[in-house]
Amino acid sequence: MIKQILVGVAALATATVSACASEVDDGGPSDMQIAHIAYTAGNIDIRYAHLALAISDNPDVREFAETMLRDHVAVNDAALALLAKLEAAPEDNETSQVLLSQALEKRNELKVLDGAAFDKAYAENELAYHQFVNKTVEEAFIPAADNQEFKELLGVALQTFKVHEGHAEMLVEKTK
Amino acid sequence: MRFFANVPKRRKAMQFMTAAGIIILAAACSAEADMPETHIVEMHGLTFVPATVEAKVGDTVLWINTDVMPHTATAADGAWDSGMMEVDDEWSLLIEEAGEMNFICTYHPGMEGVITAE
Repeated sequence: MIKQILVGVAALATATVSACASEVDDGGPSDMQIAHIAYTAGNIDIRYAHLALAISDNPDVREFAETMLRDHVAVNDAALALLAKLEAAPEDNETSQVLLSQALEKRNELKVLDGAAFDKAYAENELAYHQFVNKTVEEAFIPAADNQEFKELLGVALQTFKVHEGHAEMLVEKTK
Repeated sequence: MRFFANVPKRRKAMQFMTAAGIIILAAACSAEADMPETHIVEMHGLTFVPATVEAKVGDTVLWINTDVMPHTATAADGAWDSGMMEVDDEWSLLIEEAGEMNFICTYHPGMEGVITAE
Protein backbone atom coordinates (compact mmCIF):
# COMPACT_ATOMS: atom_id res chain seq x y z
CA MET A 1 0.00 0.00 0.00
CA ILE A 2 2.73 2.45 1.04
CA LYS A 3 4.75 1.41 -1.98
CA GLN A 4 1.79 2.10 -4.26
CA ILE A 5 1.23 5.51 -2.68
CA LEU A 6 4.89 6.40 -2.94
CA VAL A 7 5.09 5.29 -6.55
CA GLY A 8 2.01 7.38 -7.28
CA VAL A 9 3.40 10.38 -5.47
CA ALA A 10 6.78 10.04 -7.11
CA ALA A 11 5.05 9.96 -10.47
CA LEU A 12 2.92 12.96 -9.57
CA ALA A 13 5.89 14.86 -8.24
CA THR A 14 7.89 14.06 -11.34
CA ALA A 15 4.97 15.10 -13.52
CA THR A 16 4.52 18.34 -11.59
CA VAL A 17 8.22 19.12 -11.59
CA SER A 18 8.32 18.26 -15.31
CA ALA A 19 5.26 20.40 -15.97
CA CYS A 20 6.89 23.28 -14.16
CA ALA A 21 10.13 22.61 -16.03
CA SER A 22 8.29 22.74 -19.34
CA GLU A 23 6.62 25.96 -18.19
CA VAL A 24 10.14 27.22 -17.52
CA ASP A 25 10.92 26.45 -21.18
CA ASP A 26 7.86 28.48 -22.12
CA GLY A 27 8.96 31.37 -19.96
CA GLY A 28 8.37 29.48 -16.70
CA PRO A 29 5.64 29.55 -14.07
CA SER A 30 5.24 33.07 -12.84
CA ASP A 31 5.70 33.87 -9.15
CA MET A 32 1.95 34.41 -8.93
CA GLN A 33 1.26 30.96 -10.41
CA ILE A 34 3.70 29.40 -7.93
CA ALA A 35 2.03 31.38 -5.13
CA HIS A 36 -1.36 29.99 -6.16
CA ILE A 37 -0.07 26.40 -6.26
CA ALA A 38 1.71 26.73 -2.92
CA TYR A 39 -1.35 28.34 -1.28
CA THR A 40 -3.59 25.63 -2.74
CA ALA A 41 -1.26 22.90 -1.48
CA GLY A 42 -1.38 24.42 2.00
CA ASN A 43 -5.16 24.59 1.94
CA ILE A 44 -5.35 20.96 0.84
CA ASP A 45 -3.39 19.86 3.90
CA ILE A 46 -5.56 22.08 6.11
CA ARG A 47 -8.62 20.23 4.78
CA TYR A 48 -6.97 16.85 5.43
CA ALA A 49 -6.32 18.04 8.98
CA HIS A 50 -9.95 19.05 9.47
CA LEU A 51 -10.99 15.62 8.25
CA ALA A 52 -8.62 13.92 10.71
CA LEU A 53 -9.95 16.02 13.59
CA ALA A 54 -13.51 15.10 12.60
CA ILE A 55 -12.86 11.35 12.33
CA SER A 56 -9.91 10.29 14.49
CA ASP A 57 -9.80 9.68 18.24
CA ASN A 58 -6.11 8.81 18.17
CA PRO A 59 -4.23 11.46 20.26
CA ASP A 60 -1.11 11.25 18.05
CA VAL A 61 -3.16 11.74 14.90
CA ARG A 62 -5.13 14.62 16.42
CA GLU A 63 -1.96 16.33 17.69
CA PHE A 64 -0.35 16.00 14.25
CA ALA A 65 -3.48 17.35 12.53
CA GLU A 66 -3.61 20.33 14.90
CA THR A 67 0.03 21.13 14.11
CA MET A 68 -0.70 20.92 10.37
CA LEU A 69 -3.62 23.29 10.83
CA ARG A 70 -1.60 25.84 12.80
CA ASP A 71 1.48 25.74 10.57
CA HIS A 72 -0.21 25.71 7.17
CA VAL A 73 -2.59 28.50 8.17
CA ALA A 74 0.43 30.49 9.40
CA VAL A 75 2.45 29.93 6.23
CA ASN A 76 -0.54 30.76 4.03
CA ASP A 77 -1.19 33.92 6.08
CA ALA A 78 2.46 34.92 5.63
CA ALA A 79 2.10 34.34 1.87
CA LEU A 80 -1.04 36.49 1.74
CA ALA A 81 0.69 39.24 3.72
CA LEU A 82 3.60 39.21 1.28
CA LEU A 83 1.26 39.28 -1.72
CA ALA A 84 -0.59 42.24 -0.18
CA LYS A 85 2.72 44.02 0.34
CA LEU A 86 3.70 43.33 -3.27
CA GLU A 87 0.21 44.39 -4.37
CA ALA A 88 -0.04 41.15 -6.32
CA ALA A 89 -2.71 38.48 -6.66
CA PRO A 90 -2.11 34.72 -7.01
CA GLU A 91 -2.94 33.36 -10.45
CA ASP A 92 -5.02 30.21 -10.82
CA ASN A 93 -3.50 27.61 -13.14
CA GLU A 94 -3.76 24.01 -14.32
CA THR A 95 -1.40 22.60 -11.67
CA SER A 96 -3.55 24.05 -8.87
CA GLN A 97 -6.65 22.52 -10.44
CA VAL A 98 -4.97 19.09 -10.77
CA LEU A 99 -3.91 19.25 -7.11
CA LEU A 100 -7.45 20.13 -6.03
CA SER A 101 -9.07 17.31 -7.98
CA GLN A 102 -6.55 14.75 -6.67
CA ALA A 103 -7.09 15.99 -3.12
CA LEU A 104 -10.86 15.64 -3.50
CA GLU A 105 -10.36 12.03 -4.59
CA LYS A 106 -8.09 11.36 -1.63
CA ARG A 107 -10.52 12.94 0.84
CA ASN A 108 -13.29 10.77 -0.57
CA GLU A 109 -11.11 7.70 0.02
CA LEU A 110 -10.26 8.77 3.56
CA LYS A 111 -13.68 9.81 4.77
CA VAL A 112 -15.21 6.36 4.38
CA LEU A 113 -12.60 4.95 6.77
CA ASP A 114 -12.57 5.08 10.56
CA GLY A 115 -10.57 3.92 13.57
CA ALA A 116 -7.11 2.49 12.99
CA ALA A 117 -7.71 2.16 9.24
CA PHE A 118 -8.30 5.91 8.94
CA ASP A 119 -5.33 6.77 11.17
CA LYS A 120 -2.98 4.61 9.11
CA ALA A 121 -4.26 5.94 5.77
CA TYR A 122 -4.14 9.57 6.98
CA ALA A 123 -0.57 9.18 8.26
CA GLU A 124 0.60 7.54 5.04
CA ASN A 125 -1.06 10.21 2.95
CA GLU A 126 0.50 12.99 5.03
CA LEU A 127 3.95 11.49 4.56
CA ALA A 128 3.46 11.02 0.82
CA TYR A 129 1.91 14.48 0.42
CA HIS A 130 4.74 16.25 2.24
CA GLN A 131 7.35 14.32 0.28
CA PHE A 132 5.64 15.42 -2.93
CA VAL A 133 5.23 19.05 -1.86
CA ASN A 134 8.81 19.28 -0.60
CA LYS A 135 10.24 17.86 -3.80
CA THR A 136 8.17 20.27 -5.87
CA VAL A 137 9.00 23.34 -3.76
CA GLU A 138 12.71 22.51 -3.62
CA GLU A 139 13.26 21.42 -7.22
CA ALA A 140 10.74 23.48 -9.15
CA PHE A 141 9.37 26.44 -7.22
CA ILE A 142 12.40 27.90 -5.45
CA PRO A 143 14.63 27.79 -8.55
CA ALA A 144 11.85 29.33 -10.66
CA ALA A 145 10.83 32.12 -8.27
CA ASP A 146 12.02 35.59 -9.29
CA ASN A 147 11.06 37.83 -6.38
CA GLN A 148 13.68 37.52 -3.62
CA GLU A 149 11.21 37.92 -0.71
CA PHE A 150 8.94 35.32 -2.26
CA LYS A 151 11.89 32.96 -2.77
CA GLU A 152 12.82 33.41 0.91
CA LEU A 153 9.25 32.68 2.03
CA LEU A 154 9.29 29.50 -0.05
CA GLY A 155 12.53 28.61 1.75
CA VAL A 156 10.86 29.12 5.15
CA ALA A 157 7.89 27.04 3.99
CA LEU A 158 10.19 24.26 2.77
CA GLN A 159 12.01 24.21 6.12
CA THR A 160 8.65 23.88 7.89
CA PHE A 161 7.31 21.19 5.57
CA LYS A 162 10.51 19.14 5.92
CA VAL A 163 9.93 19.10 9.68
CA HIS A 164 6.34 18.03 8.95
CA GLU A 165 7.68 15.23 6.74
CA GLY A 166 9.81 13.96 9.63
CA HIS A 167 6.82 14.26 11.97
CA ALA A 168 4.67 12.34 9.45
CA GLU A 169 7.28 9.56 9.29
CA MET A 170 6.94 9.16 13.07
CA LEU A 171 3.14 9.13 12.77
CA VAL A 172 3.29 6.40 10.12
CA GLU A 173 5.35 4.28 12.53
CA LYS A 174 2.88 4.91 15.38
CA THR A 175 -0.21 4.06 13.31
CA LYS A 176 1.15 0.89 11.65
CA MET B 1 43.06 58.21 59.05
CA ARG B 2 46.75 57.16 59.30
CA PHE B 3 46.59 56.57 55.55
CA PHE B 4 46.51 60.35 55.13
CA ALA B 5 49.18 61.16 57.78
CA ASN B 6 51.91 63.65 56.87
CA VAL B 7 50.18 64.70 53.70
CA PRO B 8 49.18 68.31 52.92
CA LYS B 9 45.44 69.01 53.30
CA ARG B 10 44.75 69.43 49.55
CA ARG B 11 46.58 66.18 48.72
CA LYS B 12 44.70 64.50 51.56
CA ALA B 13 41.43 65.52 49.95
CA MET B 14 42.58 64.28 46.53
CA GLN B 15 43.70 60.96 47.98
CA PHE B 16 40.42 60.59 49.81
CA MET B 17 38.41 61.24 46.66
CA THR B 18 40.54 58.84 44.63
CA ALA B 19 40.18 56.11 47.23
CA ALA B 20 36.44 56.71 47.48
CA GLY B 21 36.19 56.58 43.69
CA ILE B 22 38.04 53.28 43.54
CA ILE B 23 35.80 51.80 46.23
CA ILE B 24 32.63 52.99 44.48
CA LEU B 25 33.87 51.68 41.10
CA ALA B 26 34.80 48.31 42.57
CA ALA B 27 31.41 48.04 44.26
CA ALA B 28 29.67 48.98 41.03
CA CYS B 29 31.65 46.37 39.06
CA SER B 30 30.88 43.75 41.65
CA ALA B 31 27.20 44.70 41.65
CA GLU B 32 27.14 44.54 37.84
CA ALA B 33 28.66 41.06 37.89
CA ASP B 34 25.87 39.99 40.22
CA MET B 35 23.11 41.73 38.27
CA PRO B 36 20.52 39.33 36.87
CA GLU B 37 20.76 38.90 33.10
CA THR B 38 18.14 38.28 30.47
CA HIS B 39 18.98 35.54 27.99
CA ILE B 40 17.09 35.78 24.71
CA VAL B 41 16.11 32.61 22.87
CA GLU B 42 14.60 33.08 19.43
CA MET B 43 12.19 30.58 17.95
CA HIS B 44 13.22 30.64 14.35
CA GLY B 45 13.21 28.14 11.49
CA LEU B 46 11.60 25.58 13.80
CA THR B 47 14.61 25.69 16.12
CA PHE B 48 15.52 27.43 19.37
CA VAL B 49 18.39 29.88 18.81
CA PRO B 50 20.50 29.41 20.85
CA ALA B 51 19.45 25.93 21.90
CA THR B 52 21.74 26.03 24.93
CA VAL B 53 21.47 28.73 27.61
CA GLU B 54 23.93 29.09 30.48
CA ALA B 55 22.34 31.15 33.23
CA LYS B 56 22.53 31.94 36.92
CA VAL B 57 19.78 31.69 39.50
CA GLY B 58 17.95 35.02 39.33
CA ASP B 59 18.46 35.40 35.56
CA THR B 60 15.56 35.47 33.14
CA VAL B 61 15.19 33.55 29.91
CA LEU B 62 13.09 35.36 27.32
CA TRP B 63 11.69 33.42 24.36
CA ILE B 64 10.67 35.42 21.26
CA ASN B 65 8.82 33.78 18.40
CA THR B 66 10.27 35.19 15.17
CA ASP B 67 8.99 32.29 13.07
CA VAL B 68 5.93 32.38 10.83
CA MET B 69 4.06 29.75 12.86
CA PRO B 70 3.12 29.33 16.54
CA HIS B 71 5.40 27.55 18.99
CA THR B 72 5.62 26.83 22.71
CA ALA B 73 8.44 26.99 25.24
CA THR B 74 7.67 24.10 27.52
CA ALA B 75 9.71 22.31 30.20
CA ALA B 76 10.32 18.75 29.06
CA ASP B 77 9.21 17.59 32.52
CA GLY B 78 6.07 19.75 32.32
CA ALA B 79 7.13 22.10 35.15
CA TRP B 80 6.34 25.22 33.10
CA ASP B 81 4.73 26.06 29.81
CA SER B 82 4.38 29.24 27.80
CA GLY B 83 1.21 28.08 26.09
CA MET B 84 0.80 28.94 22.42
CA MET B 85 3.13 31.72 21.32
CA GLU B 86 1.98 33.40 18.14
CA VAL B 87 4.36 35.22 15.81
CA ASP B 88 6.25 37.99 17.66
CA ASP B 89 4.94 36.85 21.05
CA GLU B 90 7.37 36.85 23.97
CA TRP B 91 7.39 34.77 27.14
CA SER B 92 9.86 34.80 30.00
CA LEU B 93 10.91 32.50 32.80
CA LEU B 94 12.72 33.53 36.00
CA ILE B 95 15.38 30.99 36.92
CA GLU B 96 14.78 30.17 40.58
CA GLU B 97 16.82 27.00 41.01
CA ALA B 98 20.18 25.70 39.87
CA GLY B 99 20.22 22.71 37.58
CA GLU B 100 19.58 21.59 34.05
CA MET B 101 16.19 22.17 32.44
CA ASN B 102 15.34 20.72 29.06
CA PHE B 103 12.70 22.55 27.06
CA ILE B 104 10.74 21.72 23.93
CA CYS B 105 8.10 23.04 21.56
CA THR B 106 5.12 20.78 22.10
CA TYR B 107 4.00 21.28 18.49
CA HIS B 108 7.22 20.38 16.73
CA PRO B 109 9.08 17.21 17.65
CA GLY B 110 12.83 17.79 17.51
CA MET B 111 12.56 21.45 18.53
CA GLU B 112 14.53 21.24 21.78
CA GLY B 113 16.83 23.26 24.02
CA VAL B 114 18.41 23.23 27.45
CA ILE B 115 19.00 25.77 30.24
CA THR B 116 21.92 25.13 32.56
CA ALA B 117 21.59 27.27 35.69
CA GLU B 118 24.13 27.64 38.51
